[in-house]
Amino acid sequence: MAVRRKRTRARSKAHSEFVSESEEILEQMREDLSQLADQRASRADPDPELVNRLFRSAHSLKGLSGLFGFDAMSELAHHLEDVLDRLRMGRVTLDSKAVGLLDESVTLFAAMLEKVGDETAQDEAAETITSLIARIDEWTLEPSRDSGQLEELDIDRAMLRALTEYEEHRLRENMRRKLSIYVVEVNFEILSFEEGLAEVSNAIREVGEVLSTLPSPGETPESQIRFSLLTATEQDIEGLAAHLELPPSSVHTVWRPAAGGETRRSEPEAPEVEEKSVPRPAADFSDARGEIESLKSISDTVRVDIRKLDELMNLVGELVIHRAAIASIADRLSADPATIRIGSELDKVHKSLERKIQGLQTSVLEVRMVPLRQVFEKLARVVRRLRRDRDKEIRLEISGAETELDKLIVEGLVDPLMHVVRNAFDHAIEGRAERAAGGKPAEGCIRLEATQRGNDVVIAVSDDGRGIDAKALHERAIEQGIVSSEMELSSREILDLVFAPGLSTRDEVTETSGRGVGMDVVRANIGGMGGFVDVDSEPGRGTTITITLPITLAIIQSLIVSVADQRFAIPLNSVRETLLVDPGEIQRSEGWEMLNLRGEALPLKRLREEFSLGEAPRDSKQYAVVVRVGDARLGLLVERLEGQQDTVIKAIQGPAKNVRGIAGATEFGDQGAVLVLDVSAVVEDAMRGRKAG
Amino acid sequence: MNRPSSTSPNGGEESMGWESLARAAVDHQVDEKESLLRELLTFTLDEDPYAIPVEWAREIVRLRAITPMPRVPPAIRGVISLRGEVVQVLDLCLRLGVQARQPTRTSRIIVLHGDHGSVTGLLVDSVREVVRVAEEAIQPPPTGESDSVEALCRRDGEFISLLNMDRVLDLGGES
Repeated sequence: MAVRRKRTRARSKAHSEFVSESEEILEQMREDLSQLADQRASRADPDPELVNRLFRSAHSLKGLSGLFGFDAMSELAHHLEDVLDRLRMGRVTLDSKAVGLLDESVTLFAAMLEKVGDETAQDEAAETITSLIARIDEWTLEPSRDSGQLEELDIDRAMLRALTEYEEHRLRENMRRKLSIYVVEVNFEILSFEEGLAEVSNAIREVGEVLSTLPSPGETPESQIRFSLLTATEQDIEGLAAHLELPPSSVHTVWRPAAGGETRRSEPEAPEVEEKSVPRPAADFSDARGEIESLKSISDTVRVDIRKLDELMNLVGELVIHRAAIASIADRLSADPATIRIGSELDKVHKSLERKIQGLQTSVLEVRMVPLRQVFEKLARVVRRLRRDRDKEIRLEISGAETELDKLIVEGLVDPLMHVVRNAFDHAIEGRAERAAGGKPAEGCIRLEATQRGNDVVIAVSDDGRGIDAKALHERAIEQGIVSSEMELSSREILDLVFAPGLSTRDEVTETSGRGVGMDVVRANIGGMGGFVDVDSEPGRGTTITITLPITLAIIQSLIVSVADQRFAIPLNSVRETLLVDPGEIQRSEGWEMLNLRGEALPLKRLREEFSLGEAPRDSKQYAVVVRVGDARLGLLVERLEGQQDTVIKAIQGPAKNVRGIAGATEFGDQGAVLVLDVSAVVEDAMRGRKAG
Repeated sequence: MNRPSSTSPNGGEESMGWESLARAAVDHQVDEKESLLRELLTFTLDEDPYAIPVEWAREIVRLRAITPMPRVPPAIRGVISLRGEVVQVLDLCLRLGVQARQPTRTSRIIVLHGDHGSVTGLLVDSVREVVRVAEEAIQPPPTGESDSVEALCRRDGEFISLLNMDRVLDLGGES
């Protein structure tokens, strides 16, 4: 048993690696495909590098799925690769059918990826794959249109024969586009020819394209080697030589477009060229080079397991703790006249250490940052699919996709955001008739907008739908006993009821209130990441859900407070202000304590009582830490403010799970652990207590 | 028979020769059948010996600052910070209803590793040693299995209470 379990675990780990790697590739392919479709739409020639990249992606997918034993997927990828290969070779043209087939293949592959490990689903998909493959085969058998006139090239035939099929295709393509073709011959020192060759190639790429690079047999001094670079460019021979800083004698003209040139272009393709008769001795060499190129193109990025970054973050966190310890030693030394000099020296060293650690911290945090683009694109795909399935005209507008967040937060954001967008799609935006009656355009709109504000990222999802019917919502909440009918609620408080657990579970409410189910879950998920969710709505005009999240979970700024001689950390992003409170200022209502804060009643909660830390003398001065979650504000009464601190939040391990009100703990050098408050839970409990009471 | 004095039940010092030889022979035999030996980590609570299977323990650390934690069962004293981890500490005396004493110089925290749940610290009055006990020496408690003691092991004339850790760590639902 144990052995089998282990193997399953190992397999599922391998699966998840396969899935994550493939997802990354698919993401890239989708991006490339949409670019390709754009280029086709604007009638531009498809960028060869784009097609090449797609080809390499398909090739990697094939290899990966083969490696992990997903034969059907490997087969699909193989055909995808085939289509791309033909495109790249110019044997087929990029028509709408090709784009459609590529699109379908990628979508199908992604769908199967979601079901990895579910054997029945894989079996079901096998049929779809077979039919898609059949259509691909049918399409690739359609006659290709190749053209070119290699006969008229003034070139060593041996060189021509050495071209790979792809190189030959590029040669024809450049001739068709009326570029001049040259051979550039350069000698290099054998010991360092790679650098020299790369330099010349790059220089050529600035003004044209290197079609092929071949060692050439000509006479050379002993220690040198000569290369011929088949080049296509708009430049004339002198221009090219000057650009390459080579004597004109090293550039030979191979082909120049005929002057006044349209005639030649319109001539039918030259049938006398027989592709098959061209032997390709250099094919292996050039394939290998392609491989190296593709390796190079990815080598400037590194894939890192996020857990390794967590470890790095932990180490930085520990450095921060030690730094604080050094600071306190420096303070002690400086306070004593006998050691004041050494104290101030230590303080100086400490200051520069502090700057360095901050730099390190920033760098590590930056590494963890990823743009929201991937999540937004996922949402865009979902909306496209919904639009098709539900026959609703709704467009998704996206802005701020480049906004970056910690990788872990971005991952945690996918589900809640998906939920909010689907709600807007399904419930908030009216049907055609209702929209027409309301004088709205037939097409509904959901806007997804991300912006960075200080250390937070704000994501707003707004729709132009019917808005939330506050009255219906309020009535429903009373009916279900979530609020009492006697309670006066502000319009904001009523809107906030959409987040009340258990409220929106009945569909008829959600239909009439214009919001879907599970907003309480959304709030809980976002709250779990130290963020807030807000709602704003105007009847008939639409609803906006605003999600505010810290940029990173790993290190946050906290306010350290103490109660009954115990310290607690309060994440600073939820703290609005702190006030010194005189006991006389505290007023009571129905057992509730509150404070007059610039004319508004601020409910208070004593942290000492909240956490049962014993009775405190009532007449001593206290501080109120004003925290805000959504629109709810609460003053947390504490006894001392200890200052701000960088805090690395750790999960608490042990038999007691999910302790309400505690988000985790942080280490404090010599004093052990300090608990970090879960502000949204504390505020939520306080508000619920108030409503219930 | 050659040395009748040594068979005397009150033989004291002199009896060691025989007995230790015999015990060594038995121990040696059992050694070869590894499966019959259990390794236990023994410790004391209010001076009585207790034990847990040694494979549950990850490390033993000295007592350090325990941060009290609200809203947890009373047996959880709080949390400690342990080289990058924050771990709850369960006071075994409180958990087992044994007379709890103020922590002393000998108090230790046995840190369990997370294989069977999550990493947890056990506060004990002192840690004794790791012993190897034959299965035969382990017997059910005469009063039947309790909530937390699953067996008694006889060793050197005393009974060590062997804890059922799954049950000890089950604090019963939410706090």
